[in-house]
Amino acid sequence: MLNKNFTFTKRTLGILCLAIGVLGTIAIFAIDVVDVGREGGIGPIQTVGLVIMVSLALLGLTLIPLGDDPA
Amino acid sequence: MTQSPTIPRPILTILHALMLIALAWLLFHFVVYVVYANNLIQFPFDYDQGEGFELHDVMLLSQFKSPYADIETFPFYGSIYPPMYHVFLVPFAWLFGAEYWYGRLFSFLTTLITAITISWIVYRETFRAKPSADKTLTRMIAIASGLAFLSSNIVYHIGPLFRQHISMFMFETLAVAVFAHVNEIESAPRRRRMLLLGFGLMIFGGYTKQLAAFTAIAILLFLFIRNPRRAMIWGFGFAVVGAGIFALLNITTDGHWWTQTITANVKDFLTDQAIGLARLFAHLHLALLIPALLQLVYEVYFDRISVYGIWFVCTLVLSALAAGTWGAGDSYYATAVAAMCVLSGMFIGKTVNRGWQFRKNYLRRVLIDPFKKFAPSITLILIVISPVFYILYARATLHMPTTGAGFEQIADIFGIEPNADNGFYDSAGRLVGAYADIGHLTTAQDIANGNLIVERINQMPSDTLLLSEEAAFSFATNREVITNPVVLYILDQVGHYDSSQLVKMLEEQAFGLIVLRARFYPPPVNIAIDTYYEMVEVIPMNGFDYQLLRPKN
Repeated sequence: MLNKNFTFTKRTLGILCLAIGVLGTIAIFAIDVVDVGREGGIGPIQTVGLVIMVSLALLGLTLIPLGDDPA
Repeated sequence: MTQSPTIPRPILTILHALMLIALAWLLFHFVVYVVYANNLIQFPFDYDQGEGFELHDVMLLSQFKSPYADIETFPFYGSIYPPMYHVFLVPFAWLFGAEYWYGRLFSFLTTLITAITISWIVYRETFRAKPSADKTLTRMIAIASGLAFLSSNIVYHIGPLFRQHISMFMFETLAVAVFAHVNEIESAPRRRRMLLLGFGLMIFGGYTKQLAAFTAIAILLFLFIRNPRRAMIWGFGFAVVGAGIFALLNITTDGHWWTQTITANVKDFLTDQAIGLARLFAHLHLALLIPALLQLVYEVYFDRISVYGIWFVCTLVLSALAAGTWGAGDSYYATAVAAMCVLSGMFIGKTVNRGWQFRKNYLRRVLIDPFKKFAPSITLILIVISPVFYILYARATLHMPTTGAGFEQIADIFGIEPNADNGFYDSAGRLVGAYADIGHLTTAQDIANGNLIVERINQMPSDTLLLSEEAAFSFATNREVITNPVVLYILDQVGHYDSSQLVKMLEEQAFGLIVLRARFYPPPVNIAIDTYYEMVEVIPMNGFDYQLLRPKN
């Protein structure tokens, strides 16, 4: 990736988006697991974060089949 | 006119006619904008709350004093904005003193530069995508894109204000234009110069207003996708320079820079406000949001993702979130409007020039190929309705005075009734219920009433202190600007302001007169004002009731 001429393809970008989306979703849920004393469950900012992360994962999934086209 | 030989003449005639209607309507909005700017440039008081404090920042910097000072000691003044906009205005302060007109004129001119840049981007990108594009049509679309930016109610509202936000989106738009094709530059020295220019513009934008960080994120993401190595090296340099300036400002202001530009900007999140502003943005801009989103989808699945697409997504999502913070307003969407105008212009330019090319992939097989036999008809329909996007947009963003030569007749013909101050019609209405109520023209009566407040202040001995919620009255009466209420309020809310010294001065009735407009002071200060002062007069100006309070006997 640190090669002078490296550029993301649709597939590699898709994998990156999927990874960030999945890890982000897990991290947002983990907030409630780690900080068990918090009240109110999933708050509005968490909800927005979840929507963004799930959308990113879905975007990644749809990009992966596009193969080696440059992103 | 240059005509595309492949578009049937009747279609081309309809297309030109619709495009001319769209341009005429958008041009009318531009005329309204010029009238509004001219009106505000001549208004000698605060039009939007906080303008006077930005002028005070300019005056302090022109005297080589810091606006980032200790807010707990007299004169209790601090600024929550970075200094770049104010620095640009310092020469004007040296030449003309404390005046509103040059800050408003400067802001107005930066919106024109932004609009011209948008037009230029659309023109450039259309020809890059299709070198044989129709010159006349492409020019029309490019001009419409720039005018659409100025036509947005959001841009119109704030364009000619003495506020730093406006020049921020000029720097952002210029930076995006510079970065758009920087990776394709073969010559290394030239590429480095362009990268330096782009990052320099981003530093300028960021030190004009913190919200430029959203555009910086978009640009770094774009560079990362295209060339991660270059993005990391240049991103690191950018971060070092930005952080270095930040550290320097923090050290030279004894940490007040951090308190006022960072701590004071960590505000409560108001979900209703965020949703209301998002609805307002969508309601006004839907006609161009649709082509912008279609262009984005096209880039993601059938072409390379441009910096404009990433810019649009980043500024739209992050601005929507930031717009929920206390004190935010529709202006937070202004950069997203610029990105939307660029993307929608590229979409419409590509459509009328039939520049669509779909890479072979699973989506093409599902979404495009089944309709291949209808392609000529669909293309012609799309070409004809393209200008309709601009016509619908012009209708959705309609705003105009309903009085005055020309405007009154137009309002009568189309049955437009005023729904804002001073006989103004604004399709933005008051959907959100925010405090800011701007866009209307000021009147001679507003100026007369402002002068009446000045007269009341001048009745006091010249060495008597004035506590004014707007700095304009302090400037007009050659008195010291005392407090920046919003800054005190925000820092009080986050537990970083002790109001005891100001409250003590109020207890001692140290101020001969207090002028209030919105009572943006922290609760302990407002309580002290009501305890030790009494209202003696209310003078309306520019849609607000200015309360004049004197010490109780």
